[in-house]
Parts: sequence; structure tokens; C-alpha cells
Amino acid sequence: MNYSQYVVHSPQNLNEALGILKEKASEIRLISGGTDVMVLIKDNIIKEKELLNLSFLNELRYIHEEGNTIKIGALITYKELEKSKVVNLNAPILVDASKTIGAAQIQNLGTLAGNLGNASPAGDSIPPLYVLNASVKLQSADSERVVPVSEFFLGPRKTKRAPNELITEIAIEKTKPGLYYFFKKLGLREANAISLVSVACIADLDQYKKVNSIKLALGAVAPTVMFAVKSEKLATDKQLDLNLVDEIARSVSEEISPITDIRGSAEYRRRAAYGLVYEGLYEVLMGTAKRVSGSFEGVY
Amino acid sequence: MEEELEQKYKSITRSVAAIDSQSKVSGALKYITDMRIENMLFASVVRSTYAHARIISIDTREAEKISGVKAILTYKDIPGLNAYGAIVPDAPVLAYDRVRYYGEPVALVAADTEELAREAASLVKIEYDPLPVIRSIDESIASEAIALHDNGNIARHTIIKKGDTERAKREAYMTLDRIYRTPFQKHMFLEPEGGVAYIDESGIINVFAGGQSPYRDKLQIARSLNIPPEKIRTVNYPTGGAFGGKDDITVQIHLALLAYKTGKPVKLWFSREESGVAGYHRTGSEIHLITSVDKEGTLLSNEAQIYLDTGAYQSFGPTILDVSIETINGPYRIPNYIINANLVYTNNGFSSAFRGFGAPESNFAIESMINELASELHLDPIDMRLKNILMTGEEGPFGNTIRHGDGLREALMRAKNSKIWNSVIQNKKPWQRSGVGIAVAIKGVGFGTLPDYPTAAIEIATEGKVKIMFSNVDYGQGINTGNAQLVAEKMDIPLNQVEVRHADTKYSPDTGSSSASRSTFASGNALLLACSKALDRLKMEACFYFGVTSEKLEYKEGRFYYNDRSVGIYELAKSLKARGETLRFESTFEVPRYPAPVEGTLEVPHVVYMYGVLLSSAVLDELIGNIHINQAEFYADIGTVINPSIASGQIEGGIVQGLGYATTEDLKYDVNGKPINNNYTTYIVPSVRDVPDIYVEFIDSLEELGPYGAKGVGEISIIPVGASVAHAVYNASGKWIRDLPLLPWKVI
Ligand SMILES: Cc1cc2nc3c(=O)[nH]c(=O)nc-3n(C[C@H](O)[C@H](O)[C@H](O)COP(=O)(O)OP(=O)(O)OC[C@H]3O[C@@H](n4cnc5c(N)ncnc54)[C@H](O)[C@@H]3O)c2cc1C
Repeated sequence: MNYSQYVVHSPQNLNEALGILKEKASEIRLISGGTDVMVLIKDNIIKEKELLNLSFLNELRYIHEEGNTIKIGALITYKELEKSKVVNLNAPILVDASKTIGAAQIQNLGTLAGNLGNASPAGDSIPPLYVLNASVKLQSADSERVVPVSEFFLGPRKTKRAPNELITEIAIEKTKPGLYYFFKKLGLREANAISLVSVACIADLDQYKKVNSIKLALGAVAPTVMFAVKSEKLATDKQLDLNLVDEIARSVSEEISPITDIRGSAEYRRRAAYGLVYEGLYEVLMGTAKRVSGSFEGVY
Repeated sequence: MEEELEQKYKSITRSVAAIDSQSKVSGALKYITDMRIENMLFASVVRSTYAHARIISIDTREAEKISGVKAILTYKDIPGLNAYGAIVPDAPVLAYDRVRYYGEPVALVAADTEELAREAASLVKIEYDPLPVIRSIDESIASEAIALHDNGNIARHTIIKKGDTERAKREAYMTLDRIYRTPFQKHMFLEPEGGVAYIDESGIINVFAGGQSPYRDKLQIARSLNIPPEKIRTVNYPTGGAFGGKDDITVQIHLALLAYKTGKPVKLWFSREESGVAGYHRTGSEIHLITSVDKEGTLLSNEAQIYLDTGAYQSFGPTILDVSIETINGPYRIPNYIINANLVYTNNGFSSAFRGFGAPESNFAIESMINELASELHLDPIDMRLKNILMTGEEGPFGNTIRHGDGLREALMRAKNSKIWNSVIQNKKPWQRSGVGIAVAIKGVGFGTLPDYPTAAIEIATEGKVKIMFSNVDYGQGINTGNAQLVAEKMDIPLNQVEVRHADTKYSPDTGSSSASRSTFASGNALLLACSKALDRLKMEACFYFGVTSEKLEYKEGRFYYNDRSVGIYELAKSLKARGETLRFESTFEVPRYPAPVEGTLEVPHVVYMYGVLLSSAVLDELIGNIHINQAEFYADIGTVINPSIASGQIEGGIVQGLGYATTEDLKYDVNGKPINNNYTTYIVPSVRDVPDIYVEFIDSLEELGPYGAKGVGEISIIPVGASVAHAVYNASGKWIRDLPLLPWKVI
């Protein structure tokens, strides 16, 4: 752990950054908030000896509303998401998740782009990004492409990002007003805990509690964050009642493929996933779950 | 009560801010590991990568080639005894023929920079012949187990008996037979083990290190370096947390050795992970209880088989075992018992002192047992305890006389009348279950029957200060503030006239260690004696000054009065000084003790006991199994409370540390005996957000033997947490969990 042995490049604009990245590609490590990278450096896990410090790229520090989409620049921190009116009104599930990440210190520094770049199956912003139909914009000096977040991850710590590409933006879909949502995370303490299981859900129910559509994404229970596709299908077009809540939760716990690690066993993770999904959907059924307020002025 | 006391006392029983708090919160205070000395070397420890192996060879040649390396030391370089350990020196300073835990020190490197030291350390080649790893108490005591030490795998075994348990069992209405287990616990102090050492102009080796016992450290260093203790100075303030984990040697001998060999200042500072691997932990325990009661819940007998896992070496193991023996009967009247106690070696790291010192282990067993018995008998667990606790004047389980059972009785009565004990909790969600649990704690103050003669000093400084000197270390618990308050009270001067100089063998006499909840009792009493000595001498000087005999004088607020004339203590100090007389007054306190320990023990019983009652309220999620402790109430009998806010802080801190022990902290070793969770990410201590609402109430109590009636406070509140929370979880779930921690997957 010798921080001084790293060469740090601090480009002042995106072009400059992409230029350096083109040249150095896999020789250089991107660093935004550094809340993952600094830990990796300390533990001597990083092989790159150069760092590309993104913190001066102020052009990536924005939250824009474009029709049904919210575009979030790569440098936006969790704290900024928590404070953003647009996000609070239209994608509150992301705010709820942000508030569970680390503690205040981490939320002040950590970014969505960093959570995506780190590609941990337990990344807590990722299940919400799944259910928000997020996409990741990857830019290089010569090209630009957009990948849906649900296709971005290849495995633990592996993504589709090419070494010369930078995540510059994350786009999310606004959630329709009135939709139910919940984010639940199980960690072994109330702050600075890595998820044993996490669940993000957005549910569209009619006034009789019939499920029009539902999105369920789970973290820490498979090599990447995953949609519970079978369970979503099972729920769709059905009347939500206690039996269905139990059935969906059961189905989720069967659909996931957790592993046993230092934090908990695979078997327990299945039970906990059942519990989290059951509790979230129960609250939806009872009407006590949170609902999206929407983008109209005056809702607040 | 507090108001009355405030009138009675001027400086004590008041919540003044800790005297070093401002320098701590502002960051001005430099901790020992912040120290940098010009031209100092950095040290790195070469540690065993096996939990159990024979050392075939140690090859330092490659490492020596690194330029900037100033020393590479192995066991061959130790001039004196190659062993340390507070009670039994059985741990090598540097391993020579064998290693017995993963992370055991084998060689030391000192180099110009930290990086070079690490690099060189990584180049020291050690050839090992792996031996079978003993990972549990069961494996250790198995007949075919390989012996970890010459004396086998049972470091200490003792049996203590009273009455006839067989007969009691036959006559009992009910007998429960249960096994309780508690895990290792890491101290997780924010400042890991570390320090610096240098040789000064007069040839003294100065060792500044986080620690708890400057004089014992000094002796252990002297023994290994084979130099007289006078050639060593140890300093332990300020230490950033200790909790028992710095009571025995951590870096001190290594630092002194490197300074001695290189002649240069040296710094050694563990990383968090190194602390996780090589630092101490609490003993793990397995306790088998067979306990009998009559129909009304009166305890008849208790058979206890105690096994404590001391890891590779003993450190304080024998006395930790004693405290677990002393705790296994609780504060109860138990006419018949057999205690079969064993301290067992394994390759699970290295156990040493930890807040509570064997008491939390035994308390979890006996208090859970009492709760189980009450439940089986359909008795209120508080009523059952009230029926069985020993009252003032009764004979205790070890031939001792109970001095203050009334304090515990009062604490139990208050708990019984408390809101949380009497309210029915409304669960907000259908999957929530709630319950309130109770446990009682008892803990002796100090070293029991072991001789203990703490010495402290005060100096009346002519510049208008009373300087106080003692060796106990303030590592955050507030002893320097409490002692300053005691001295201000006795000298009848404002607190800001008291200056503390402590934890430094150059200035302070030997007051013993900061451990066993003894510092207030030991150093407080010694300081009060020194104050009396000073006041006596100053009074004579005042007699001289006024030309009258002493009975004519009155002392008040730092001045002696003769009719309407007066003279202050600092003026008197000046005239004493002018004649070349000493202004320093030193006194030794004889800690009251029974003349001999109970046969088979080293220090059982104690004369003075603290008591506490803990109620905890748990909300359990039935589907997920996680528990949330949302309320805790603690009723404490700790004698006079010198500083209520600091004492509450100690109790709150102990409860929170106990909650980690009870619910999430789970130090684990892999099949090769390597610890797998060695930092804050993987070893889950509670965060501030996990802290419940804590209510602390002090029972009106006075221990005549203590300084102004004080006993002690540091350990009492961590002791009952496991049993109280397990009881709360039982009341919520209907399930007794007999092995801590109460992780979610055990609860559902
Ligand atoms: C104490 C603590 C608690 C934590 N708690 C949580 C938690 O509760 N939940 C959770 O999910 N995480 C947690 N984390 C992990 C971390 O905070 C998050 O993953 C955070 O989102 C990382 O963001 P960052 O900006 O700090 O990333 P950095 O550390 O800067 O980077 C992380 C990774 O992303 C890459 N990267 C950064 N920016 C880009 C970019 N623009 N394009 C492409 N790749 C990029 C980096 O190269 C690196 O591999 C915690 C970390 C700590 C230290």
C-alpha cells in the first residue's frame, strides 16, 4: 500500500480523458469517488500503476430530464441523487437505495458509475437501475454506445466496458406516478454493510390490486444482479392476494442462484430473499408500500 | 439523589467533560501511533503463514540484500528470555522451533521506510513442516490430539466443590442440562497496536506504545532484553482504545529490541488486518451446566463444566478462567456446586484479556440457565432472581461475605417496575415478533486475592497546580478525569488546578494496570492517601507559618485558616521548597483482599463486587431472522458515581460492544487455522445506527472501601448482554439459542 507509487492523471475535460484512456487502455485504472478503488489499492489488488482521476470532468456532473428519461452524469454522487428533486419525484427507488449505501461519508463520494464499474453482484444501486430500465452510455475517443444495464455485467467484477471506454452517463426511465416500489436490503448492520440479499421492485397494479406488470431485480444472489423473470411472469395479470405474495416470494427464492460465502450460506440467502420479497409485496398488497408521486409540480 | 450529592460534594458526582475531550475532538491530541521521530526506522513483523508448523529454517539472506534494511532479527537475537505472557510466559517473543497460530511473529525487520521494511519482510524465507491444526476445544481434548505444549493441551484444570450436588439433584423438583457456547471476540479498537521506541541521551530505552500496564510491560521488556528495568521507560498515553487487548505485550518487546539492536528510533504499527490476524481476542467458551431447583425456583445446585479456548498461548488465561469460575454461580445462593474448569490450547489465534475477562462467557451460561428455569417453572424471571440473590452479610459461594447485596436487590426492583418490563409491545408488521429479556451481572473489582499495592503520587506545584501521578492508562474510559475529580474534592480546590501526569513510568509510580475495573478503586484510593499525606504536611507548615498548634487550624478551599488569617497551599509549598523539602507525596494503598484464594484458583473471590441488571427489547423479523435491539435499560450498582456522564458512557459503550458480541461478531478460522474476518468489512461490529435507545440508572450506593464510596464501572455492562438478548429473542420467537452470536440464520 504505497499511494505515492501511482501516477495520477487528472484530465480537465472529457476529450482529454478519453485521449489518455485511448492511449493507456488497460494500463490505467479509472477513479471517481475512489470508495472502491482506494480499498483495492490498500489491499494491493490493483495491477494498474496509473490512475485516471475523473473528478475534474465537471461536464459529467449533471442530472437532466428529457421527456420520459432522466440522464445522470457519471460523476453524480449518491448524496446528489438523494437531493435531486427530479429523481425523488420520478425514480424514488434510486433515492431509497442510495440512502442504504455505506454511510454519509461514502454517499458523499461514491457514484453510480463507480458502482457499475466495480460490478459487484452486491452493488446496491444496481437492482434499482435494473427495474428503472437503465442504460449505460460508454464513450471512447472514437465511439459511443449505449448498453442496457441488464446486459452490462458479465460476472462478478466483469462488464462489457472495453478498456478504452468510459461510463459517461446513466439513463433511467421515469417511473409512472402511482406505481408501487420498494428497495430492501439485508445486511448484518444498519450502516456500512454489504448486502446479503437486496431486492428492488416496481409494481403496476390496478385499483383492484391486479398486477398489470411487475419488475423484480435481486442483488447478491447470483454472479450478477438478476431479474426474477419467472416470478415476474408468474405475477403478471394476476390478482395480488396473500397467496400470490407467498407464491411470488417462493418463486423468487427458487429462481435465484446464491452462493455460500463469509457473509452467509446459499440456503439462508434463499430464505432471506423469500422474506424480503414477501414483506415488500405484502406492503404493496396492503397499500402501505411507497408509491411514485410523479413529475407534476405541487405534488410535494 | 443527584441534587443531594451535589450539595455534599463539590467536584465529584458531577458530569464534568473529560479533561482531554477538547484536544481529542479538535484533533490536537496526538496519539502514540501519530508519533514521528527524525531518522526513525520502520519495522515490519515476519509472521507465520501456518497456524501450526515446525520451523525447519529461517533464511534472511535475500532480505538483507535490500538497501535501507537496518536490522533483521530472529530468536537468536534475543538477549534474554524468549517468552512473554502476563501470567505464564509461554509465548515466544520470536518463534524458534514451532509456530502455534497463524500470524505468530517469527522475525523482525527494521528499514528506512515502511515499504522497504515490508519488502524485506516478504523476502525472509521460512521453511515449515506443517503440523495438524487444532481448531476447536473438542479437537484439542481428544485423546489422539497432538500436544501443543509440553504440558499437553489443557493449560489449566481445576475442580472446586461445595456441598453434595448428587443429593441435591435427587431431591430437586427440576434439573436442566444445557450447553452454552460463546465465540471469540476481537477488541477492534480504532487505533491498532503500535508505538515507537528510542534510546535517549542517558541510555534509557523509551517505549511509547498503546498499552494498559506500563510497569508490567517494562518488566516483560527487561526480562527479554536482559537489562535492568531502570533502563526502560514505558509510556502508554494516549492510547486509542484497548478493552483488554493491549493489557499484555503487543509491540513493546519488539520495539525495544529493535531500538536496542539498531540504536535508532523505530516505529511499529499494525495495519487493521494485521491486528485482525495477530492481535488478541476474547476466549471462546463451551460451558455445560446442570442446574437444579425446587418447585418455587430456589436454586439447589449447579454443576458446571467450563472450557475456555485460550488459543495458542495463555497470556491471562489462568486468571480469566478464575473469573469465569467466580461468575458461574452468578450472584446467587447456591448451596451445592461443582465447577470443573479447563483452559484449553488450540491453534485459534491467541486469547487474552477482554472487558469482562471470563465473566461474559460464564454469565451467558448461568443467566440463560436462570431464564430457562424460570420459564419452565412459569415464574417471573425477576422474582426468581430476587428469591436467589445473596443479600448483605450472607456468605457468598466462595466463603466470602457479601458486602452489598441490597444494591442488586434495588436494581432488580427498579427493573421490575420499569416501563419496558411491564408494557406489551405492539408489533407494527405481521412478521415482527417482540420480546424483552433480562440478565443480571456481577463482577469483582480488581485482582481478588492476588496482592495488589497500587502506589500513586501528588505534587503541590508552586505555580498553583496539584499534579497527580499514577500509572493507569486513560485509553478513553476517563480515568484521568475521574482521578482529577477525586483529588480536587479531597484537596478542596477547583478541578482546573489539578494536572494529570499518568501512564508514564518516568513520572508516575506503579499503580498497576488499567484492567479489572480497578483503576478508580486502586489509583483513586492511593491518590486520596497521598492527598492526606500532603495535607498533613502542609498543615504542619501552616502551623509553623501562624505560630500555632494544629488544632487551631481549619482547612477550606485550598487554604488553612487561623481565625481571620489564612494561607494557601501553594504559598506553603513555596516556603517548603525554599528549604529544599519535597513537594511530592507518594502513597500506597493496600487493596482489601481475602488472605488466600479458594483452593484450585489464583484469585477467587473478590471483596468488592459491582452489579448490574440489563433489560433489552428485541424486535425479530420472523421471515428473515434478523433481530433489532431497539431499547436497553441498565440498572447499575457501582458505588458512588464520580462522574455520571462518563460512567453512563462506559455503560452505554459496554452494552453496544456486548450487542456486537451477542448478535453479529463472529470471528472464524478456516480449516488451516487462518482467521477469515479480520477487518471492519468482514468482522461486523455495530455501527452508530445500530445503537438502541439506552437508559442508564444508578442505584444509590456506597462502598465504604472505595474512594468516596466508588467501586468501578468499566466491565459491568458488557457482561449480561448475551443472556439478556438471547432471552429477549426467546420471548419473541419461543426459541432458546445457546450459542452466540444470534445470527439471523440461527434465529429462524
Ligand atoms: C465503507 C464502505 C461502505 C460501502 N458500502 C456500500 C454499500 O452499502 N453498497 C454498495 O453497493 N457499495 C458500497 N461500497 C462500495 C462503493 O462505495 C460503491 O461501489 C460506490 O458506488 C463506488 O463509487 P466510486 O465513485 O467511489 O467508485 P470508484 O472507487 O472511483 O470506482 C469503482 C470502480 O468503478 C470504476 N469506475 C469509476 N468510474 C468509472 C467510470 N466513469 N466509468 C467506468 N468505470 C468507472 C473504477 O475503475 C473502479 O473499478 C462501500 C464502500 C466502502 C468503502
